[in-house]
Amino acid sequence: MADTALPMARPAPDYNEAVVRKFVIATVLWAVVAFLVGVWIATELAWPQANLGLSFINFGRLRPVHTSAAIFAFGGSALLGTSFYVVQRTCRARLFGGTALADFVFWGYQFFIVMAALSYVMGFSQSQEYAEPEWHLDLWLTIVWVAYAVIFVGTLMKREEPHIYVANWFYLAFILTIAVLHIGNNLAVPISMFSAKSYSVASGVQNAMIQWWYGHNAVGFFLTAGFLGMMYYFIPKAANRPVYSYRLSVVHFWSLVFMYIWAGPHHLHWTSLPDWTQTLGMAFSIMLWMPSWGGMINGLMTLSGAWDKLRTDPSLRFSVTAVGFYGMSTFEGPVMSIRDVNALSHYTDWTIGHVHSGALGWVAFISFGAIYYLVPILWHRRGLYSMRLVSWHYWIATLGIVFYITSMWVAGIMQGLMWRAYDQFGFLQYSFAESVLAVHPYYVIRMMGGLMFLTGALLMVYNLIQTVRSRTTQQAFALPGNLAVAGE
Amino acid sequence: MDFEPSDLIVGLMMAALGLAGLILASGAMDDEMYVFGLSLFGFACVFDFGLLRRHFDRLEANRHG
Repeated sequence: MADTALPMARPAPDYNEAVVRKFVIATVLWAVVAFLVGVWIATELAWPQANLGLSFINFGRLRPVHTSAAIFAFGGSALLGTSFYVVQRTCRARLFGGTALADFVFWGYQFFIVMAALSYVMGFSQSQEYAEPEWHLDLWLTIVWVAYAVIFVGTLMKREEPHIYVANWFYLAFILTIAVLHIGNNLAVPISMFSAKSYSVASGVQNAMIQWWYGHNAVGFFLTAGFLGMMYYFIPKAANRPVYSYRLSVVHFWSLVFMYIWAGPHHLHWTSLPDWTQTLGMAFSIMLWMPSWGGMINGLMTLSGAWDKLRTDPSLRFSVTAVGFYGMSTFEGPVMSIRDVNALSHYTDWTIGHVHSGALGWVAFISFGAIYYLVPILWHRRGLYSMRLVSWHYWIATLGIVFYITSMWVAGIMQGLMWRAYDQFGFLQYSFAESVLAVHPYYVIRMMGGLMFLTGALLMVYNLIQTVRSRTTQQAFALPGNLAVAGE
Repeated sequence: MDFEPSDLIVGLMMAALGLAGLILASGAMDDEMYVFGLSLFGFACVFDFGLLRRHFDRLEANRHG
């Protein structure tokens, strides 16, 4: 009798949900900022007078504000917040290090973002893509990141569940690798302890190689591994289905982390980087198809038997569409890494389109799915205020992405073809200014696509505020103290 | 003991960082370092006051509850 009796339900630990709530709010706030600045600089590209002649809002200074706001502020807040949520729930343990350390990570990270944005508009930059902050800001981020790693690893170590769920493996790879990349790429000598200006310890092509070892793995471990961790928790939870193949998740995890780290040189095709290094980067980029699609297949197949939920749950639709965009952009990336394709695509807007199919379609959509899932749980509401608004958000944003990436494909391929065209005398057929004029209509379409994406995000903000404040979403009864709904 | 050790460790760390910010601002050779140093000092002060407030809020809650 005793053998067949159900085990006693253990009370849920007192999870630190306050820090997760703060990160969710920050994620939504930074999403709007990132999309707004993106639309603004897209407008500046189409109509340069839009910079109003002010140095601190010219394209060169606002562009890193946009990329940092999208990747580190919006994406980073989403990753840190969801990782704190997931690691507590799957380890059945409160965050290690106490409330003060978790608060330090939240506020310290937000401080870094604000200070970095301020430094860009003031004209200070290392001039390395996605690594623009100067040395003092890099040191600050290192302190915050070490604290984050201590909390995450400490929580894993004090877990009450015997198994470390696969989502945590992806988050862990994200945390550890970003630490190594950030320190490696930002080794610099300041001209004085009291000056923001510094010089990288590496120079010339070595500096470029280290930069793109960092840059591509920021894509691989920040924008891929971290968000795969998000996918492996929130899609099964939202679909109420187990992961399709746990074995596949482990295999594609190890192959992904092994291969991604070598792919950076494909950013430096046709440069002074040695040919063999370029070939190495290209070969590993093509091999990345396998683990990337392993993750995509696992994410999509998790919906086996639950596809009908896509009709009734638009927030799950975000997550699943995100996996589709992940598959598409991880197919396109290796194609663009082939040296002969890269000869056409590099330095053109094709690259911008590719980046945005990943950033908007994968990163933003998987984050929206997680946010729509989390907000009713974290604020103890019955559900979202309006599923119809979620649906509107989904369709407006999807259409915005389609406008964006198709216009950039056309503009990019046209630029590439115009730049390589020769006349019968062997002279370049088009001047650079002619190629700028030719892509102008596509820049306007791109701006409109971004505007649609921003509009969708504003609908989300309204819906989430109403979810928290409206009486219609209040629970019929409030759970006392630290009790949680079963399964949460 | 109604006292979280991490409050003390993080509080002292922030105090040290805030002081470092003040030193950086005092000798700043450019606007960026001046703004960063003063902002770090201000951030550290606000954060530590937040820790103090939470500590006394907790004590009060325990006294009444």
